[in-house]
Amino acid sequence: MNLPGYYEFCCRVKIIAGHDALEKIPDALAYLRARTPMIVSDKGVAGAGLIDIVTSAIKDGVTIGAVADDVPPDSDLQVVHRLARLYREKRCDSLIAVGGGSVMDTAKGVNILISENADDLMKFSGANALKRALKPLIAIPTTAGTGSEVTLVAVVKDHERHLKMAFVSYFLLPDVSVLDSRMTLSLPPAITAATGMDALAHAVEAYTCLAKNPLSDAHALAAINLIGENLVRVTRDPGDKNGRLAMANAATLAGIAFSNSMVGMVHTLGHSAGSVCGVPHGVCMAILLPYGLEYNMHKNGHLTAELLFPLGGAQVYAATPEGERADKVIALVRRINEDLHEASGGRHPRFFREVVDREGKQMVPREKLPEIAKTALSDGSLFYNPEDLDYDDFLMVMETSWEGEPLERRKIKKG
Amino acid sequence: MFSPDRYEFFCPVKTNSGSRALEHLPFELDTMNATKPFVITSQKDARRGLVDVIIDAFKDSGVTIGIFDGAPAAPGMKLIKELFTMYRDGGYDSLIAVGGGAVVDTAKILNIAVSGAPEDIERYAGSDLITKPLKPLVLVPTLSGTGYESSRYACIDTLSFSSCFLMPHLVVIDPRMIVFEDVETTAAASLVTLTHAVEVYTGPEKNPLSDSYAYAAIRFVMENLVSVIRDPRDGKGRLALVNAHNAAGCAFSNSTPGMAHRLGKAVGDACQLSWGLCMGILLPHILERQTSEDGYHIPGLLLPLAGFDVYAETPEHMKVQKAIGILYDFQRDLFEASRGAIVRSLKDAEVPEEMLRDIARKAAGRSSTGFDADVSLMVLEQAWKGK
Repeated sequence: MNLPGYYEFCCRVKIIAGHDALEKIPDALAYLRARTPMIVSDKGVAGAGLIDIVTSAIKDGVTIGAVADDVPPDSDLQVVHRLARLYREKRCDSLIAVGGGSVMDTAKGVNILISENADDLMKFSGANALKRALKPLIAIPTTAGTGSEVTLVAVVKDHERHLKMAFVSYFLLPDVSVLDSRMTLSLPPAITAATGMDALAHAVEAYTCLAKNPLSDAHALAAINLIGENLVRVTRDPGDKNGRLAMANAATLAGIAFSNSMVGMVHTLGHSAGSVCGVPHGVCMAILLPYGLEYNMHKNGHLTAELLFPLGGAQVYAATPEGERADKVIALVRRINEDLHEASGGRHPRFFREVVDREGKQMVPREKLPEIAKTALSDGSLFYNPEDLDYDDFLMVMETSWEGEPLERRKIKKG
Repeated sequence: MFSPDRYEFFCPVKTNSGSRALEHLPFELDTMNATKPFVITSQKDARRGLVDVIIDAFKDSGVTIGIFDGAPAAPGMKLIKELFTMYRDGGYDSLIAVGGGAVVDTAKILNIAVSGAPEDIERYAGSDLITKPLKPLVLVPTLSGTGYESSRYACIDTLSFSSCFLMPHLVVIDPRMIVFEDVETTAAASLVTLTHAVEVYTGPEKNPLSDSYAYAAIRFVMENLVSVIRDPRDGKGRLALVNAHNAAGCAFSNSTPGMAHRLGKAVGDACQLSWGLCMGILLPHILERQTSEDGYHIPGLLLPLAGFDVYAETPEHMKVQKAIGILYDFQRDLFEASRGAIVRSLKDAEVPEEMLRDIARKAAGRSSTGFDADVSLMVLEQAWKGK
């Protein structure tokens, strides 16, 4: 087990998981001395009937003070202020966030305002500006991927002032995350695929990049194993409850792993492709993951090789000679993408040129690649990547991952 | 991979481990809104200069610290009341426990008092009776621990406490503090750790989160204990062992104590032996017994015990046998590395054979999980003879 010169690890979130985990929320709230939660969610989640499932699971045990199920995908400071007003008006004493990243971020922003009784969120931005516990926050993820139910970061946009405020504090961790298989049962195959690959990228980068530590490693290995065994299966058979719960566990494990060890170039380029072309984060992760492993191979191939055990299983690991294991992992990741492509009726893209929006329009035109490469240069996540990349390197990775060709190893500059 | 139908997991502990970790303490206290910590340690650790490292870490920080360096091996309520007065009169707002065992029990129980009132202590004895977070508690472990330091457990006099609120908020593992201890102490804490982690990993409450902590703990003990016992100068190994103690404490706090834990304690208490030594002797015998019982997950144990390669090359039907064999080999290696100090059977530990029946009956009586006196006796008899 690797023991680095220095590391930190922390995940103070209580995890409640199961096929009927939602039913435990009233007890969890009582333990936190709360009984009038406000539910924060978005229209997609509400439209899928998930808020109904949550409310009927908890209504006998608590008073639901308010339901704000209209957080927009591109939430901002105005939304945060509006929800904080609603929370105060309805005399709520806790928050239940049901949804993905935008809902979680919004709920965390609301929590700062109401707990600190503040009007100006800006005062609390940055790292460690919060000094005391906030109001109880329960997170219920509705995809199995982002891991935002266990992360200590919140980003709130201020559209009026064109600002993006980031908040980092252990006090932003939800008190409880509830992983319930019912929350992801109706997830369409393409989203199941992309979010699952997001979790895989978290775990793989946590294990293979520079800030790894023994506890993040252990969480990452468990996540990768669960994803290897379940992701393709649940994408093919969305009603597989056990598979859904296993993926929810995997996403949380991966979220804990990467938020305690940071990530690398897969995220660097993924963030850029997301911000330049609006490609969903999970799709970027799925496409870029094999390239990140190929690019870093000369530095961390031994770690990539180890991942054959959790990803491919003990038999495949034993049957593959040591020197071929890292390549086999990369081939397996590509194979998973192919399987997901097929299982989603072609909706899960394998390369950037295959990514299309709702209207079927290509989202990443080839001429955008230089801009993506340029944007990547200023992303902090590169710091923890084993090998350096300059503009030309980023462009090379983007071009090959656009085409769907493997990287040419001889073109990688070895630092 | 095993994914249970339902589970809960909670670990409030933040771990900072490695070079100059203590230098982050002023910053870490600030994030917990604490400005005046009260340090509790033992005379022994103060005498060997460990407190000086702590004092140095606060130099230039502007933080005032108080130090009590007289925690005895068997603290009582009288001491807690004295410390309560010192804490209150000194205006402290947080606790730092430096060391292991009784020092940490003292700090945990003092924390109940200073977070409320001294009268609270007796009221909160028992399981999960504390209902709200206590003051920030930092643990700076040494190798002199018992393996319980990061856990939800504490005891004083005849009172015992179990609550997640007793777990330290922050554990700072700094190589400068992980100095050598005698073979018995080092082995005892690490065998408690191994037993706890194995019982979490194989037990009926197994889940992917407690498994992650248990996995790291088992790997660290298997990779480092023999070498540290053989050569105490192995600093990296000592650091890894304390990391294991910490991870296992977190895992163990999320699981009902298993049979090796309970029987090991019963034998240790009856015969004035260290719990760790007894648990270490009993563990493989108990696992052998549990392979034929429902609800245990023994084959997968081979993975943390031996690593990817051995696990992958061992056929499915051989995994249990291999895992238990590795634990017996481990007992032998420890016996040899310690020149016979870490014994492999209860007989060699000088447990009188005629006491076994009584121990089995007492352990079964205390048990909330299903193992009866007959089964306990059978296991004890096997462990008495040894492999």
